Amino acid sequence: MPRHQPAALPIAYVVLRVLIVLNWIYGALLLAILGLSLANEHWTFMALGVPVSDQTRPLVMGMRAIAALGLLTVPLNLAMLKRLVAMVHTVRAGDPFVADNANRLQAIAWVLLALQLISLIIWAIGKAVSTPAHPLHLNAGFSPAGWLAVVLTFVLARVFAEGTLMREDLEGTV
Amino acid sequence: MGIAVKLDELLHERRMTLTELAERIDITLANLSILKTGKARAIRFSTLEAICAVLNCQPGDLLEFQPNKDSAERPRAA
Repeated sequence: MPRHQPAALPIAYVVLRVLIVLNWIYGALLLAILGLSLANEHWTFMALGVPVSDQTRPLVMGMRAIAALGLLTVPLNLAMLKRLVAMVHTVRAGDPFVADNANRLQAIAWVLLALQLISLIIWAIGKAVSTPAHPLHLNAGFSPAGWLAVVLTFVLARVFAEGTLMREDLEGTV
Repeated sequence: MGIAVKLDELLHERRMTLTELAERIDITLANLSILKTGKARAIRFSTLEAICAVLNCQPGDLLEFQPNKDSAERPRAA
């Protein structure tokens, strides 16, 4: 039985649900832009402020690659958010120290690591194709906070795994 | 487990039921049953002391190391 239900939990649950929907919308929009850029290249890139020419070809290809990488983050975000929702469920049920949650945290840590690596690749592509005439301003690259989150999540997953074993020990003690 | 719990034999010798022992040492019957069936992972000194006091025995009378018995190694979490 959960003893006390702080408001943070229902809020977190709603926020996570909203983020899952937003992630789907983000994926759909990226897919639409990528599809349009292939179906009607000139119109799409003109709308994005990049007239297609031999000079802007690397930029066009770079933007496509960035969109494709962005698309790759959709299932990763979804995997992370779904696991977080499952974890919130266990907390609300009053039983968060279970092996499943340790595994979920471990998986989230790997997803965060993958997202950081993708961010670095996007930054590198942006740097390579950006020109003074058409500069690319991307919110990507090395993020100390992001990498700290990766390390913290790996550590937390380990703490959860050990905590679960300790609880199992305690439950088996007469 | 390589450690066998001989509570059943001790209770039989003392003509005492598990329920009676549970009441006298103030432990739930469910927990005592877990101990009796060898499903417990650990035993507190306070529980051991209470059982020994009521059954008038030594810890060695209650527990026995059986080297040939398989040790149930618990799986470690990843």
